[in-house]
Amino acid sequence: MATAGNSNINAKLVLLGDMGAGKSSLVLRFVKGQFLEFQESTIGAAFFSQTLALSDATVKLEIWDTAGQERYHSLAPMYYRGASAAIIAYDITNTESFERAKKWVDELQKQGNPNMVTALAGNKADLEENRKVAAEEAKAYAEVNGLFFMETSAKTAVNVNDIFYEIARRLPRAQPAQNPGGMILTNTPSEIAQSSNCCS
Amino acid sequence: MFGTQSSTDFGTPYFKLSTSESASSSSSTKTKRKTTIVSKANNSLTVKFEDIYGFVVEGNIDDVNILNDVSEKVRKQGKVWWEIEASRGANWYLQSQYSSILVGISVASFRPSVLSNTITLKKLIRKGIPPNLRPKVWLTVSGASKKRSTVPESYYDDLIRATEGKVTPATRQIDNDLPRTFPGHAWLDTSDGQASLRRVLVGYSFRDSDVGYCQGLNYVAAFLLLVMKTEEDAFWMLAVLLENVLVNDCYTDNLSGCHVEQRVFRDLLAKNCPRIATHLDDLGFDISLVATEWFLCLFCKSLPSETTMRVWDVLFNEGAKVLFHVALAIFKMNEENLWNAHQIGQVIKIIQTTTNHLFDPDELMTVAFEKIGSMTTNTIAKQRKKQEPMVMAEIDQRVQRLNGLKKLEDGK
Repeated sequence: MATAGNSNINAKLVLLGDMGAGKSSLVLRFVKGQFLEFQESTIGAAFFSQTLALSDATVKLEIWDTAGQERYHSLAPMYYRGASAAIIAYDITNTESFERAKKWVDELQKQGNPNMVTALAGNKADLEENRKVAAEEAKAYAEVNGLFFMETSAKTAVNVNDIFYEIARRLPRAQPAQNPGGMILTNTPSEIAQSSNCCS
Repeated sequence: MFGTQSSTDFGTPYFKLSTSESASSSSSTKTKRKTTIVSKANNSLTVKFEDIYGFVVEGNIDDVNILNDVSEKVRKQGKVWWEIEASRGANWYLQSQYSSILVGISVASFRPSVLSNTITLKKLIRKGIPPNLRPKVWLTVSGASKKRSTVPESYYDDLIRATEGKVTPATRQIDNDLPRTFPGHAWLDTSDGQASLRRVLVGYSFRDSDVGYCQGLNYVAAFLLLVMKTEEDAFWMLAVLLENVLVNDCYTDNLSGCHVEQRVFRDLLAKNCPRIATHLDDLGFDISLVATEWFLCLFCKSLPSETTMRVWDVLFNEGAKVLFHVALAIFKMNEENLWNAHQIGQVIKIIQTTTNHLFDPDELMTVAFEKIGSMTTNTIAKQRKKQEPMVMAEIDQRVQRLNGLKKLEDGK
């Protein structure tokens, strides 16, 4: 049971993004601390769970890692339905994948939960010499769209734990059962936009 | 054979059989097999080794023992096939009815000997085709041989030559996936293996541009290559699978066929395991969460390799209804555990653990064909027809929403 002042939060998180952006690699790095140069392509989706201990709450993330190929997008609603958080990943060396990420942002804004905590992850940040998407551009896009942005590298582990922990911190805290009234959402979309200063 | 292991008696090593079999065939399984001890705790030893198809398996001693029993059963089953061949003549199975997949011939029109061969063959195939006979029997019962016989003999070579050096969205995606297809596999991870896989997938993407390349086909084609040994045979098996065996549009644009299968499966589960189906619904568990991969990879990413092969044996002989039998069996085998699960995550873990450890194919096949009510290809076809409009409506809805979004943006 949660101790006084603490709460237990279960949250569904979905990973979306173009094929080869590194969605599975991000999860594998976060959940198992591993990285494989060649990660098996995901078919349908893969499920992981990870519990994070924060100072004010224990957050259990149920993570859905989805397939990236365009034709699999018809399955996406099943995975983002009821999700409280999303990571939309793109590959900083591939402009198409950034365009694809924007489409995901649009789709989630239209269809997802309006209070969804959404992160934009510019992955493969270790491949600086091949960079095609400027960090400033992605950061500006994220700010306009109420997302928080980080550049990550599943390979070197840079910002991988950080992005998942930041999501956990931003999730709305559950209301204690004995006090059902007065729901306060600590992170409204506008606050998130203002505080998105965690990019590299 | 087990390298580092000597003190524990595993019985007949699982790989003995495989080594002798692969010696006469392709290079794909001719690699030296190693076993490593991964961990040793509480008397449960975890070992890592390559199975007969070159996949790295991690399991405990019980799993290894099961695999050794399985290889013994495979050997015995091989003997049964040879005995029949001795009494009915070589290639007797070529004279059986073409599988139920190729419809249009009524059973009554068969000569008694043909009918008898058909019945024997169905029973035998459910018990497993000996690995060395698989290529020939699969080509025959699936209708792949017949399909190939309708085009010039040079079809495959011409196709490959014509596609050489061409770059399309499909070839780019294929190239992206080649090193991501069973990475670490002894043969698929070599340049030869990837070149073969590439030719089969690229060739098919040109044969059917509606399918092009769909992720998932990389795994299916890789397995076909490992079994069939030649690219051309693997190519024709892939063609007959997509064009005759599986539901239409399983891999095309919106995967609509795959969506249809999920819905049919949902209804079948409600009929066969009503208590579990209701319980899973209450948990908010959608069967597609696990079944999408099953229907697109035909279990080859979830089940151990010999178990997958046993499923495919029956799939090629009896048609796509087999996938429903197997999927239902996996839920049926776990009824009690699933009943006690209270979270979606637990449900997924139960299903995944079961499928990954189904080393004994008979355990699965018995439930799939004896504990699940029979279905016919016709009833499945009717079910699909019923679901199709719903699937198309769902897909249209999403497209319209997204288009609406786009219009809004354009109007800004």
